[in-house]
Amino acid sequence: MSMQSPLGRVRGLGSAKSGTNHWWHQRLTALALIPLTVWFAVSLVAMTGRGYDTAVNWLASPVSACLMILLIGAGFYHMKLGLQVIIEDYIHVEWQKLTLLIVMQFWSWLLGIASIMAVLWVWLGG
Amino acid sequence: MAAYDIIDHTYDVIVVGAGGAGLRAAVGLAEAGLKTACLTKVFPTRSHTVAAQGGISAALGNMGQDDWRWHMYDTVKGADWLGDQDAIEYMCKEGPAAIIELEHYGVPFSRTDAGTIYQRAFGGMTAEFGKRIIQRTCAAADRTGHAILHTLYQQSLKHDVEFFIEYFSLGLIMENGVCCGVMAWNLDDGTVHRFRAHLVILATGGYGRAYFSATSAHTCTGDGNAMVLEAGLPLQDVEFVQFHPTGIYGSGVLITEGARGEGGFLVNSQGERYMERYAPNAKDLASRDVVSRASTIEILEGRGVGPNKDHVFLHLDHLDPKILEERLPGISESAHVFAGVDVTRQPIPVIPTVHYNMGGIPTNYLGEVLIRKGDDPDCVVPGLMAIGEAACVSVHGANRLGSNSLLDLVVFGRAAAIRAAQVVKPNTSHAPLKARAGDEAVAKLDYYRHVKGKLPTAAIRLSMQKVMQANCAVFRTGEVMAEGVRKLEEVRQSMSEIGVTDRSMIWNSDLMETLELDNLMQQAICTMHAAANRKESRGGHAREDFKNRDDANWMKHTLVSYDKKTGKVSIDYRPVHAYTLTDEVEYIPPKARTY
Amino acid sequence: MAEFTLPQNSKVRPGKTHAAPTGAKRTKKFKVYRWNPDDKKNPQVDIYEVDLDSCGPMILDGLIKIKNEIDSTLTFRRSCREGVCGSCAMNIDGTNTLACTKAIGNVKGDVKVYPLPHLPVVKDLVPNLNTFYAQYKSIKPWLQSESPPPPDRERKQSPDERKKLDGLWECILCASCSTSCPSYWWNGERYLGPAILLQAYRFLVDSRDEATGERLDNLEDPFRLYRCHTILNCTKTCPKGLNPAKAIAEIKKMMVERQV
Repeated sequence: MSMQSPLGRVRGLGSAKSGTNHWWHQRLTALALIPLTVWFAVSLVAMTGRGYDTAVNWLASPVSACLMILLIGAGFYHMKLGLQVIIEDYIHVEWQKLTLLIVMQFWSWLLGIASIMAVLWVWLGG
Repeated sequence: MAAYDIIDHTYDVIVVGAGGAGLRAAVGLAEAGLKTACLTKVFPTRSHTVAAQGGISAALGNMGQDDWRWHMYDTVKGADWLGDQDAIEYMCKEGPAAIIELEHYGVPFSRTDAGTIYQRAFGGMTAEFGKRIIQRTCAAADRTGHAILHTLYQQSLKHDVEFFIEYFSLGLIMENGVCCGVMAWNLDDGTVHRFRAHLVILATGGYGRAYFSATSAHTCTGDGNAMVLEAGLPLQDVEFVQFHPTGIYGSGVLITEGARGEGGFLVNSQGERYMERYAPNAKDLASRDVVSRASTIEILEGRGVGPNKDHVFLHLDHLDPKILEERLPGISESAHVFAGVDVTRQPIPVIPTVHYNMGGIPTNYLGEVLIRKGDDPDCVVPGLMAIGEAACVSVHGANRLGSNSLLDLVVFGRAAAIRAAQVVKPNTSHAPLKARAGDEAVAKLDYYRHVKGKLPTAAIRLSMQKVMQANCAVFRTGEVMAEGVRKLEEVRQSMSEIGVTDRSMIWNSDLMETLELDNLMQQAICTMHAAANRKESRGGHAREDFKNRDDANWMKHTLVSYDKKTGKVSIDYRPVHAYTLTDEVEYIPPKARTY
Repeated sequence: MAEFTLPQNSKVRPGKTHAAPTGAKRTKKFKVYRWNPDDKKNPQVDIYEVDLDSCGPMILDGLIKIKNEIDSTLTFRRSCREGVCGSCAMNIDGTNTLACTKAIGNVKGDVKVYPLPHLPVVKDLVPNLNTFYAQYKSIKPWLQSESPPPPDRERKQSPDERKKLDGLWECILCASCSTSCPSYWWNGERYLGPAILLQAYRFLVDSRDEATGERLDNLEDPFRLYRCHTILNCTKTCPKGLNPAKAIAEIKKMMVERQV
């Protein structure tokens, strides 16, 4: 049982003086993802059953590639922000929380950059 | 007696109670650099000040010209000339500064278009010595007490006041007529504490719960008053109990006088605005004793409303719904929850309900507790002060004007802090207490904790409340009160058969309610005796067998002392101060009181 | 991990049943959480059958009737009994509210009464609110201004400026909202919770207060403010009809506003 005063506990390490960017970026990415996801879904439906080449050609067009990169960037960034909140919400053992946050961040960056590289590969290299 | 480990504390000043008066005093004491502790049986913002609705009076003059002398005249007249005019002068003169101070503290007062504090009309508040109704009562919608109490708690946080929350006070430590501290029981962990101090300030509120139906909170049990009685000191003017004209029928929940201040009015079963008959000038804004008596007469003469013709209606449905929403949101909600009434369309069923104790611990305008010693009626009890509803300064005399109580709290809370700073030098050393100081209080706790009688606390409390309600009501006669004295004595004797079930020390609310009953009982008995003793009608004390005020024989304060062992009450008197504090105003001589 | 199940010593067991007095026609079962710190037993739910024909209309009336007539050891806080002091906040019929303004008639079936959720219990229905009160103090809930006020007059405030405080200053600190918030359950020591943030906002929008920046600095924290996930339990449960969720949203807006 802690003998620290309630006020001491509550003040803790003080204000982190951050959090607004996190919150704001989560909203911004959410906003961006609405049209991007619609565009992506419509495109997918339109290409249904039209073969691999059609899909590659579609992705190789500058507009599609740009939008696709935006979708991936916003999507993974949004995912990273969201996962961070979930981990902070539910994981209360400090080392576990930290480890998970690190793994999650690395994993998000890795997947995100790999996906973008794939798009670039198709667009520029293909 | 079981052994209790007692934890000792030493402070310059102890404030008991954290309502409006206690908090204002505590803030002032902290500012003065005195080592102060504030003991309270409920968390500060749960104190009953929070339930004050209509407002706080002061001659600010925001709604037209005003003068503190007019306010003083109204207060003296409202008090039916039983108030001490030096204290009334002090309160009314300090009023505007006290309100400004509250505003600077951050109280969210309602505002006029000019950005100043909004003031509303209230019962008995007039201009030019009774000529016309005036708007003098500063309001924060109809939750002024809430606004003030929360703000004062915020100020106490700012000043790092040291609180002991959910500590129940058990008794004063008196040595040779000097108060040296207070004993308390910590509900949270069950420990017993001895607080030693140069000065104890009682701010423990009234004892409305001595009655069956009261607007008061369950916690209004006058614990400080009882501690004073147990210390062998008298209470003053306890026969004066204010009945608020508009408690909701059934639940007793308060509907502010501000409702009438904003234009509401009372009607009987014939749809008549009967106050026009009883108070042709002020009508529904006559002072509370007048309106309560009028309503009671209407009901007694068969003009009450409802199936049993036992209450009256308060109409607000003619008012602009916008006004109701802006200025009376709290009572609109209360009326809806407790009477099932939509105030924009239906009248509220109301009945005069016990609301305030004008009497209490006798003090001077500095807050110092007084006793009569030989020829000196104003002898100060060293180490003891009282403020707020617990005290009888006496600014309210025989009847308090609405919105004067909040003013009383802050003015005399502040005055007590100022006086304490003059009397106590910070960090003066303390004389050692006697070896077993406070043992009596612990013995009382221990006795009730283990008492095994067959009558539950609630049953005895109910009997007491019923007697008070029936035999010490709006209208009184010698016969009815003599019966009340007899019946209360029976109830008192039944205390020997009381039984407590919970033996725990941690949050034993069974025991706490029993200690509160013990406190209430003493005050109920004193009230009944003092009322039976006063053979005149004055303010809140209306006798059918002595219908008139009798200044020749009764313009004096009653002092009641109580011997707990025998249940015997003894009565003495103090003269009313027939002088003012300064020559800025002249003594207001008694005259007939009409509204 | 956040705890999703109760620890062994907190598992609630069935307790005693107190039958209604014979002859009672209209009865209601009150199932009340009981825990006594003096014995080492688990909490239990006692059942009291209350005769509604001799009982007031509110849940608090029922609890007081139980305490007065059936079991005087039942422990709960109460004071004003009119919904202004905030003492009797508890979990009734699955919702945090004030016992004194919640009508028995509005509860379908048995009345289940528990202490406010996710707080340490002191005894029966009395929770320990010390952290909640400390959080209140931590936001410096008092008017801060450096400009000296006019010495013998009030500070001016227009009716419109004053109106911004409506819906905020009426909070009675009953803690119903904060203890209904899952985010406060999981991170109650670091997240300030809706009640305290509502009070923070009360000072942020007071035209007389001059410490808005410092106040925002103090709140700008992933936990203190941004643990609010707009679940809206707070607004749904508030017995005074206030809207803490809106106040929190307004604070977040202010945070962005001062950056863009």
